[in-house]
Amino acid sequence: MSSTPGSRPSTTAIIGWLIAAAVIVALAVLLVLNGAAVWNSFFPPEAKSVQGQEIRNLYDIVFVIAAVIFLIVEGLIVWTVIRYRRKPGDDELPAQTHGNNLAEAIWTIVPTIIVIFLFVISWQSLNKIETVSATPDLRVRAVAGQFQWSFEYLPADADATTKALFTVNAPLGPDGGLVLPAGQTTHLYLRSTDVIHAFYVPQFLFKRDVVPQKNPLHDNQFDLDIPASGAGQTYRGQCAELCGVGHRIMVFEVRALAPAEFQAWYDKQVAAVNATAPPAPSGGQAGPPVNVTAQGVKFLEPTLTAPAAGFTFHFDNKDAGTPHDLDIVASDGKKVFDSKEFPGPAVQDLPVPPIPAGTYQFICSIHPTLMTGTLTVQ
Amino acid sequence: MATTTLTPAASTYRSGLYEWITTTDHKKIGILYLLNSFLFFFIGGLLALGVRTELAIPGLQLLTNEGLYNQFFTMHGTVMIFLFIIPILAGFGNYVVPLQIGAPDMAFPRINALSFWMLPLGGILLLMGFLTGGAASAGWTSYAPLSEDRIGAAVNDAAGSGQDLWIMALVLIGTSSILGSVNFLVTIFKMRAPGMTLFRMPILVWTVLVTSVLVLMATPVITSALIMLFIDRNYGGHFFDPATGGNAILWQNVFWFYSHPAVYVMVLPAMGMISEILPVFSRKPLFGYRAFVFATAGIGALGFSVWAHHMFTTGAVYLPFFSLMTFLIAVPTGVKMFNWIFTLFRGKLTFSTPLLFALGFLSMFLIGGINGAFSAAVPVDFALHDTYWVVAHLHYVLFGGSVFGVMAGLYYWFPKMTGRMLGEGLGKVQFVLMFIGFNLTFFPMHQLGLAGMPRRIADYAANAGWNDLNLLATVGGFMIGASMIPLLWNVFISLRAGKIAGDDPWEANTLEWATSSPPPPYNFDRLPEIRSERPLFDLRHGRTANH
Repeated sequence: MSSTPGSRPSTTAIIGWLIAAAVIVALAVLLVLNGAAVWNSFFPPEAKSVQGQEIRNLYDIVFVIAAVIFLIVEGLIVWTVIRYRRKPGDDELPAQTHGNNLAEAIWTIVPTIIVIFLFVISWQSLNKIETVSATPDLRVRAVAGQFQWSFEYLPADADATTKALFTVNAPLGPDGGLVLPAGQTTHLYLRSTDVIHAFYVPQFLFKRDVVPQKNPLHDNQFDLDIPASGAGQTYRGQCAELCGVGHRIMVFEVRALAPAEFQAWYDKQVAAVNATAPPAPSGGQAGPPVNVTAQGVKFLEPTLTAPAAGFTFHFDNKDAGTPHDLDIVASDGKKVFDSKEFPGPAVQDLPVPPIPAGTYQFICSIHPTLMTGTLTVQ
Repeated sequence: MATTTLTPAASTYRSGLYEWITTTDHKKIGILYLLNSFLFFFIGGLLALGVRTELAIPGLQLLTNEGLYNQFFTMHGTVMIFLFIIPILAGFGNYVVPLQIGAPDMAFPRINALSFWMLPLGGILLLMGFLTGGAASAGWTSYAPLSEDRIGAAVNDAAGSGQDLWIMALVLIGTSSILGSVNFLVTIFKMRAPGMTLFRMPILVWTVLVTSVLVLMATPVITSALIMLFIDRNYGGHFFDPATGGNAILWQNVFWFYSHPAVYVMVLPAMGMISEILPVFSRKPLFGYRAFVFATAGIGALGFSVWAHHMFTTGAVYLPFFSLMTFLIAVPTGVKMFNWIFTLFRGKLTFSTPLLFALGFLSMFLIGGINGAFSAAVPVDFALHDTYWVVAHLHYVLFGGSVFGVMAGLYYWFPKMTGRMLGEGLGKVQFVLMFIGFNLTFFPMHQLGLAGMPRRIADYAANAGWNDLNLLATVGGFMIGASMIPLLWNVFISLRAGKIAGDDPWEANTLEWATSSPPPPYNFDRLPEIRSERPLFDLRHGRTANH
């Protein structure tokens, strides 16, 4: 701002510049104190799948080109604005330049070359990501419905229509999630039972929509390779396409196991399905009933009281098509009661054996963030 | 001409309000557009602050009913796009285009009034959803089949009548756009003053022309899609429901076939306004006028071949084609950027508020263009799609671009509309608050998206690592809200006691500054000779200076 008499900067303008300076100082301090974290925040997380690593490499190239273009052009804007401000009292017209065909040609052709280069490298990397193995080590169908994920494990020679060998219904936790062998290729099919969802795992840098299709052969499918180094790791996944009021809670986990460990887990699941279903617990030990109702992916009763000598949950699942279960978790996180889930609308009586008096949590393990309450046993 | 000429007897009992309601004068209709759009801007802004407040910290605090949260962001997007940005640009076009081409009014003044009055009606219909058991809540994109369900209110967003009201409102607003675009096209082609050849038209007129072509070609497509959705919902149609043989992706194709060109409808006129303002405040002609016109037409044409870049993760589009076209559309946009910069280059810049907002447009729209190129690389889009990165990108284009352009235009043409200048001091305070608030809100969303935060969620885990950036974005959001206070105060005091503007306070180039401020109902007593795209510059400095 100039200090020539008659063009004194207004107080409001000074305030404005002060605010701008304060923000710049704040940003500078942030950079000095936490530069590495700020720098890393411009990049996606380290990729944990082979396909994700391909995407990350492409991102890095795009980022460098974009950053260079940004610095040049934004720098040009800022420099021009500072350099060519009008001096007070200067009434002379600047040169009236109407254009320059050479300049127009340069800034048409150079950007065209850059974007075509970007297109070619992203097409190449797309082809690598979309490559599908003819003989994957494992085929799994991820099934999405409002608002939970389940994972159906298919036989080796399956296609998208094949029935599951067994199904993992809990999307999270030690008994659930999408369990995969590290160092091997998994072919995933995506099936929706209602609206559009999206299978998204940030650490794989990847998402694919789960589009409802009448014909399962039209379901989206892709290959996922977790490198051998991922054994023992768990990755967070989440639905990325708005699917209704419970969209937020549609989370799941991907658990990578070493191949031997995976095989043991797999055999156990197959054996459990093949074993004859255990007889339903008879009413012999049934205690007094405790009513629980699930509606709208919520428990209607926030608190429950039950006798320590054993009782029976009278569990009313009113959510059509949505499975719920009812587990009791002790304060140390241990499950003291674990029931099988069932879709609503249906009512089941679940006998609970005697448990020590105290305060517990009751949860639906399929919707643990949304469906939880306090159980007092006395 | 076609303006209403009242007999003295009739005018005696017509109150001011009655005159505004029945007016067919393009200037009054233009001002009505602006007032109506700003009203909805504030409504949409409050909805956004509701969303930002909920997201400030983990846990559900304000919108504990997540269905209501979904209504908030759905209505925020719908209101901002269909009732603020598109109409306010149409409003500036309405006010300025006839003046800039030396016409006394629009070609069809009564249709012009009709197109305006459909907007408040559509807006009321849309907002009625909040009073009738829940507004639309399937996102402003209303993807089928989520938007089709009428049953199971507990889990389905679209169960209430809000979704039907949304459809009706959008059909009304779309019809208003179509009528408006026909009106603009006929006005621009048939009502230019003698000497105003196509290549002497101000760039704003060119951008409104291309925008009108886009609206005319694209809006009927979404109108038919909306009617199909309405039939599906109410009369058992099966267009978009896969369970009964329909196709869920069909909705996305027709929706984006309109809604991507609509992005250019929301940006091109703002680019036009910037292209009027930069030359005036740097005292130079626009660099590369013809290149600019061709780039505008190029964006319009390419704009119809990129819609499926919103659908890269559906697995249902031919990826390389849409990736290539999306990359290519960056080229004409880049041409414009360089033309603007070289308009400033070697100029003599006066930092009045319109120029500040125009520079805000340049520097922010640049980011919105560059971060868009990330998503054009299909594999990178697999990581970024439907995360907060996309929210950052679209706001850098539509807020950093269009809204900064709208503010520049408001400060620039307010003197013409009212005869009084807006205060410069308050204008600069508004600019600084808005510029900083905007970047605080939307820049961190890039990082949130990279860190994996999906769009359209009411809550997030406290240990997800998203807390600081969300809080920052919320603080910035309230700063944007605060920047509206100096604007409103500025308008209020300037209308009463602002500096008298005179005909041409900015030493501008185009014809609207050749008449009084505000102009008479018939616009011009006489027109200067039109020998170039800067008739007023020629008048002031002589034709020879404009070489």
